[in-house]
Amino acid sequence: MEGRELTFRHKLPKTKIERYWKELENNTILATRCSRCGEKYYPPQADCSVCYSDDMEWVEIRGEGTLESFTQQHVIPQGFTFVSKPYTIAIARFGEYRVMGWYEGDELPKIGEKVEAYTAKDETGISKVYFRRRTLKAEESP
Amino acid sequence: MKRVGIIGVGCSRFGVRDDVALQELAFEAVKEAVQDAGVNPADIELSVVGTVGTRNYELMPAVPINEYCGFSGRGPMRVEAACATGSAALYTAYTSISSGMADIAVAIGVEKMTEVDTATSLAVGGRSGNYLFEFHQYGTTFPGYYAMYASAHMARYGTTEKQMAMVAVKNHRNAALNPKAHFQKEISLEKALSSKYVAYPLKLFDCSPISDGAAAAILASEEKIRELGVDNPVWIDGVGYSSDTSNLTKRPDYVGLRTTVEAAAAAYKMAGIDNPVKQLDIAVVHDCFTIAEIMAYEDLRFCSKGEGGKFIENGDSDFGGRIPVNTFGGLKAKGHPLGATGVAMAYEAVKQLREEAGPLQVDLKNYRALTHNIGGTGHFGWVFILRR
Repeated sequence: MEGRELTFRHKLPKTKIERYWKELENNTILATRCSRCGEKYYPPQADCSVCYSDDMEWVEIRGEGTLESFTQQHVIPQGFTFVSKPYTIAIARFGEYRVMGWYEGDELPKIGEKVEAYTAKDETGISKVYFRRRTLKAEESP
Repeated sequence: MKRVGIIGVGCSRFGVRDDVALQELAFEAVKEAVQDAGVNPADIELSVVGTVGTRNYELMPAVPINEYCGFSGRGPMRVEAACATGSAALYTAYTSISSGMADIAVAIGVEKMTEVDTATSLAVGGRSGNYLFEFHQYGTTFPGYYAMYASAHMARYGTTEKQMAMVAVKNHRNAALNPKAHFQKEISLEKALSSKYVAYPLKLFDCSPISDGAAAAILASEEKIRELGVDNPVWIDGVGYSSDTSNLTKRPDYVGLRTTVEAAAAAYKMAGIDNPVKQLDIAVVHDCFTIAEIMAYEDLRFCSKGEGGKFIENGDSDFGGRIPVNTFGGLKAKGHPLGATGVAMAYEAVKQLREEAGPLQVDLKNYRALTHNIGGTGHFGWVFILRR
């Protein structure tokens, strides 16, 4: 027997860090830092989990990152079947912030390699961070 | 704080159990545990039901399970801690007794995972981190999360895909002798190594299967154990718990689990263990993926950080090794029905400590066993030290 159909499609709230999502569309990746105690957050958050202050400043993540881990996803979950080939998820460190993103291309990255981050929309219109191998020397510092 | 012992355990056969509903599956384990303890179901004062849910058609399953097992009015206290849900159930039953609120309680762990297809199951598991910043944007999956730990561990310590495959081979070999295991057959190293990537560097045989199963444990206070005249209690000597961030990006590295380190430290301290390899006879560790077992060797202090790959290669975790690990087949081959797992770990450890493990029995010197259960990718972690 088959159960009755049940479809979940959550309506996502704006959240207190709406600016993060807006700036992702302008190729800007934002983290937050607590003005009172200095705790750093990526993904950003509007309240400090350490000192409970809501006095947070936005910090832009840019420059050269170091790739710390990755996986290439071969078995595709529901919701990502729009991707027709394996995709690579990586985590790279930019100064004191670690960022998750998709590593562009089919080739496997190397842990420790230098990357730069940019943002783009995927085929479903969701903005995200992408990484590509850094070829030019950085003029800006992270 | 009262002393607490386990007086009865039960476990269903793990696998694709489309022959039973969730509550019928739970009942298999509860019935065995009640009979094993030699108590009447009416004696149980509190039932704790551990189940993640979502993949089963019964979305709020605790009450149907509780009713079917005859515990209406005495629970259910429902708990959820992802893949460590069973340990959360054990812990809740334990604290209810150690605090004096109850004298006898049952921890029930149950999960039916095969009622949805694999793509749906992956999408549910991929939400076990932080939905918005991980699954929503990047399509993380559960194998993918552990794969990120595997790639970092390989890069830093030189751990190899072959060493990971050796964990699978060992655990499949053990499961072949476990009548309750999902996969009761051995695999060759070549077969494990030539299986397809699920999430690089993890291949199909690095992953635990998607299984249905249930387990139950009956816990009682020392006074109650004496009153009942139970002659083979297994005491909970130590317990430790910890947790970590939902976002992987908020962690300092990807080569070990802070939850394991902290939970083990607390459990070892409580049980008076300073040299786990010498003071324990056997360990049941969380091997949802082969890399998880390798990291567990290190984080539980069976070997130094980075030496986990060599530990499996040297046979240190096999029968006759420094400390036999996952002699029942592990989650890798017995199966990993999320809610059931933590309780099923206690089942396997109790069977060993009572010397009822048949062909899988290890030699006991200390009469002490460890169970280690992780929820999510180190999001939750429990370590229990059990002693006969």
